[in-house]
Amino acid sequence: MEPVSLFDLASKQARWLAVRQTSVAGNVANANTPGYLATDVEPFEKVLDRRPVTLAATQTGHFGTPSAKDKVAVRPVEYSGPELPSKNTVVLENELMKAGEIRRSFELNTAIVKAFHAMMMTVTKG
Amino acid sequence: MDALTAALKVAASGLGAQSERLRVVSENLANAQSTGTAPGADPYRRKTISFAAELDRLTGVSLVEINSIDRDPSDFPVAFQPGHEAADENGYVKMPNVNVLIEMADMTEANRSYEANLQVIRQARDLISMTIDLLRSQS
Repeated sequence: MEPVSLFDLASKQARWLAVRQTSVAGNVANANTPGYLATDVEPFEKVLDRRPVTLAATQTGHFGTPSAKDKVAVRPVEYSGPELPSKNTVVLENELMKAGEIRRSFELNTAIVKAFHAMMMTVTKG
Repeated sequence: MDALTAALKVAASGLGAQSERLRVVSENLANAQSTGTAPGADPYRRKTISFAAELDRLTGVSLVEINSIDRDPSDFPVAFQPGHEAADENGYVKMPNVNVLIEMADMTEANRSYEANLQVIRQARDLISMTIDLLRSQS
């Protein structure tokens, strides 16, 4: 019962960004590991569009199934650069770029939540 | 586990791996002139390090770990030093197969990777504190 689904959307994006940051951390840590393939998360639109099929809980005794909709898939990215003898596909510069992108988005995200929260407080306090 | 905490953990494993690499480089550099002691004996053999990705079962992310520390099997250069205690009957001493330039390049790269890992830690920490800031009283 939420009039505006902004908080839900924002927390979804925050979760997605956190997973993406983990993927960047893995890539940077494994920048010198032979045979390691750089990974990235699926685009956020895909996470939003997902309509998973879950079992309906029609009785109170039913166990909830772990919802697959909050899971963000991390998979190796395609690599177009020159093939190195170590077969490692991490480009450190790209990872730092991605990190900057994540930071900006996260800042925007928390700022929006903050502003929205302030609006709600204005309404309640009058 | 929270994804950002997992990110911190991954970056910390990267820091550990790179400092181990720096340790190997410093061993090689320190022993760049270490010859054997008996006539014709082998000198210090250069060490090499390699990493491997290790899946962390708890969080499902790939940490980095030391795969192995091996010895460089390349040939030793020889120097003509007849008075040396490790000189063979012809007066040649086997020198370690350490190339200082290569070690320096390796050190620079370890440094760069270490910095990148630190940057990731800094950022993960900032993201966490941005989230905590939401809870602070506004107005």
